Amino acid sequence: ECETTLRSSDTHPDGYPTVEGVKAMAAEVKEKTGGRICIEVFPSSQLGEEKDTIEQTQFGVIDMVRASFGSFNDIVPVTQTTSLPYLYRSEDHLHKVLDGPIGEEIAGQFAEHGLIPLAYYDGGARNFYNSKQPIRTVEDLKGMKFRVMQNDVFVDMMSALGANATPMPYGEVYSSIQTGVIDGAENNFPSYDSSGHAEVAKYFTLDQHLMVPELVAVSKTSWEKLSPGDQEIMRTAARNSATLQRKLWAEQEKASEEKVIAAGAEVVKDVDKTAFIEAMAPVYEKYVTTPEARDLVKRIRETQ
Amino acid sequence: MLAGIAALSRLNGFLSRVSLWLAGAGLVFMTLIVFAQVFMRYVMNDSLLWVEPVAILLMSWFIFLGSAVGVHESFHMGFDVLLFFLPDSAGNWLKGLSDLAVLCFAIGMAVYGWQLMVRTWGTTLPVIRLPGGFGYMPLFAGGVLMTLFVLEHLLQRLSGSRAEAQQDAEDILMTEA
Amino acid sequence: MEYLILFGVFTLLMLIGTPIAFCLGISSFATVVWLGLPPLVVFQRLSAGISVFTLMAIPFFIFAGDLMVRGGIAGRIVRFAGSLIGHVRGGLGQVNIAASTLFGGISGSAVAEAAAVGGIMIPQMKERGYGADYAVNVTSMAALIALMLPPSHNMIIYSISGGGRISIADLFTAGIIPGLLLALALSFTAWIVAVRRGYPTEPFPGLAKVFRFLLESLPGMLLIAIIFGGVRSGIFTATESSCIAVIYALLVTVLVYRSMSWRDFVHATQQAVRTTSMVLLIIGMAGAFGWLMAYLHVAQISLNWMRSVSDNPFVILLLINIVLLVLGTFMDMSPLIIITTPIFLPVVSAFGIDPVHFGVIMILNLGIGLNTPPLGPVQFVAAAVARISIWEAMRSVWPFYAAGLLVLMLVTYVPALSLWLPALFRGL
Ligand code: NA
Ligand code: NA
Repeated sequence: ECETTLRSSDTHPDGYPTVEGVKAMAAEVKEKTGGRICIEVFPSSQLGEEKDTIEQTQFGVIDMVRASFGSFNDIVPVTQTTSLPYLYRSEDHLHKVLDGPIGEEIAGQFAEHGLIPLAYYDGGARNFYNSKQPIRTVEDLKGMKFRVMQNDVFVDMMSALGANATPMPYGEVYSSIQTGVIDGAENNFPSYDSSGHAEVAKYFTLDQHLMVPELVAVSKTSWEKLSPGDQEIMRTAARNSATLQRKLWAEQEKASEEKVIAAGAEVVKDVDKTAFIEAMAPVYEKYVTTPEARDLVKRIRETQ
Repeated sequence: MLAGIAALSRLNGFLSRVSLWLAGAGLVFMTLIVFAQVFMRYVMNDSLLWVEPVAILLMSWFIFLGSAVGVHESFHMGFDVLLFFLPDSAGNWLKGLSDLAVLCFAIGMAVYGWQLMVRTWGTTLPVIRLPGGFGYMPLFAGGVLMTLFVLEHLLQRLSGSRAEAQQDAEDILMTEA
Repeated sequence: MEYLILFGVFTLLMLIGTPIAFCLGISSFATVVWLGLPPLVVFQRLSAGISVFTLMAIPFFIFAGDLMVRGGIAGRIVRFAGSLIGHVRGGLGQVNIAASTLFGGISGSAVAEAAAVGGIMIPQMKERGYGADYAVNVTSMAALIALMLPPSHNMIIYSISGGGRISIADLFTAGIIPGLLLALALSFTAWIVAVRRGYPTEPFPGLAKVFRFLLESLPGMLLIAIIFGGVRSGIFTATESSCIAVIYALLVTVLVYRSMSWRDFVHATQQAVRTTSMVLLIIGMAGAFGWLMAYLHVAQISLNWMRSVSDNPFVILLLINIVLLVLGTFMDMSPLIIITTPIFLPVVSAFGIDPVHFGVIMILNLGIGLNTPPLGPVQFVAAAVARISIWEAMRSVWPFYAAGLLVLMLVTYVPALSLWLPALFRGL
């Protein structure tokens, strides 16, 4: 029997790479502690949405949470800087940043908010898709209406690109594109496929404007109850699970891409990102205000 | 004792009336801003980004204020079949017990509502840029009001001065789901 | 032990007459304290449970309903229905059902419908020699049509309780055929009873009058097209359409009918505040209760139990229907949707039943419970309007219950009744 049960929340359903990642971590921890420590995953938002479950983890109600960096923006300010549009050149670049000293530095900023980060998972890259035309340049976006999440940075990013941001609930996007209320939306390949949006918005542009990592964090209260040995087991298992999760994510991304292309979606890959990056100047001016943030952006860009 | 209850009664009557008017104004204001958003999006081709978070905050306010009024006016729907078959004295005793349970919960709502407010004050609500604690303010206010209202009922019951509100067809009308 | 605290405290409080909202909150509070978790979480769930944009459709639809009843939209619809079909045997009973069907297309509240249609029809029926029990039973059962036809805020509550991933547009569409089927079954039952009791007919007022009443009720009925057309085509979200319904009801009653005074408006607003804050407080408290049910794996436990009883979806559905009918006898609709959806939805999904189909089953089932004592709010309103006791009405309610249960069984075992229309609309 488990001496300690750690409860972990996820908003994604069972079988999703993030859920499978934490489950793999659970299996390793259970094995290495001889069954003393069990991690139980609650998928599908059973315990609440990301912001709520982050709060619950901070208050020590539950022990672990898997959430997007985007949901930490208003709690740990550094996550906003690291989620700025067009900050990373590629997924590989993002991994190098997170797995290096900058990743450690970001992790350190969570502690004062009652959270101990254990692993960075992949959330993929978000891209634009629409029902009107293939988008290759910034000009192609002019005047188009895109659904974005309720977040200041996203809204400002759209205006900087000359498009209109339209926040609306995710469930309304399909019919809104169908009826022309909006022209498109933005997301990663797996969501583009599973939401059925590929059916109504067949022009997909691989511009990778946002790469927002996913975080697995443990509550400081629960963490301090573990022995240093068990903490080490948890850290190792989390790191190993990140490797698995990133592999699962890449597989899922590939499978979704093949599926939407087979279903008739047109994927534009030859985008010149330079003009998009240049258009972000006002956004960076607005959100990168402190010397520390400027330094962080510079070091991220310089990471090879 | 009785004079104290009467004073609390007067205060509560005033607070309940004000809460009901504020909640009603909140509902009307919520209607107007959501309609403005629809209008802007479909007619003016532009989005009002602040409408959704403000409307949610307004809804939270009018629900907690309205629910507190519900405690004052005893319109929250319950299952009182057992009370119907019991003699009045036993029924009164059970209602007192029920009031006591609600009092504990209302105090919890005020205390933990306050804690939640304090603990989330350092965060920021998206788009409207207010401290996160504002989200829990209605919970706290509702808890304080409910505490006062149910305390009045309990004291009246203890002193034997509580007269049950007349239940008529219009009261039942409210118990719609 | 924690299960005993959660469900035991809930049951005990309910028996001593504590309002349902507080039964949910207090039992969650007690369980969290017993488990040694920070009690903060109960109040966080309470606050988060009501801070959902989609929920806003509930106050709006209720507000619109209050405005329509007070502003005379409902009255004009009844007059139109009366001129149209009053001349068949037991005509006023048929008028009652037809008016309920039309008004049900713009209101989602069965109690508002019983009060609005019953308030106009029951006195007329008594005056023309109909039995008061008959008038009450026709009114209270026909009021359930409002739950099935769009708009139905109970379907929104179901969608949210199911995790917010069930399409509201599909649920709205799925209720249409079952709602019309219910109208048909009640109409037939009412006709048979009327013939056996020898109830009178009304003179036909002539096509000119029918046409005039149609024109008068048209501005109100246009709302059917606005709400359903808007939500179905994706032009509006359910929340937006509910807000438009409020504005539209105000415009029609103030500018077209000129029947809404400031006093009426204030009264309708305060009434809507009372109703919605009561319903939404239950939703918030159920958020805390539901969090504990997830934390304690209640859904998995019930799924395992159901599986041990039978692995036949036919039997499972019958079992769930019986459980819901029994619960619906004692409890009101929205708290039951909120409490039982997280338990039953994973169960039926595991048996391959469509969530939209199950939503229709649940709404109809719990709707019948609104007409069963000891807690039957729709029946109470109708009986109060007719000034008879529930027990008097109960004497002759059985054929109407039978009609309702027959439709429930059809809807349960013929999924196409619910699922054909949404599929058709999605294909357009
Ligand atoms: Na309806
Ligand atoms: Na009932």
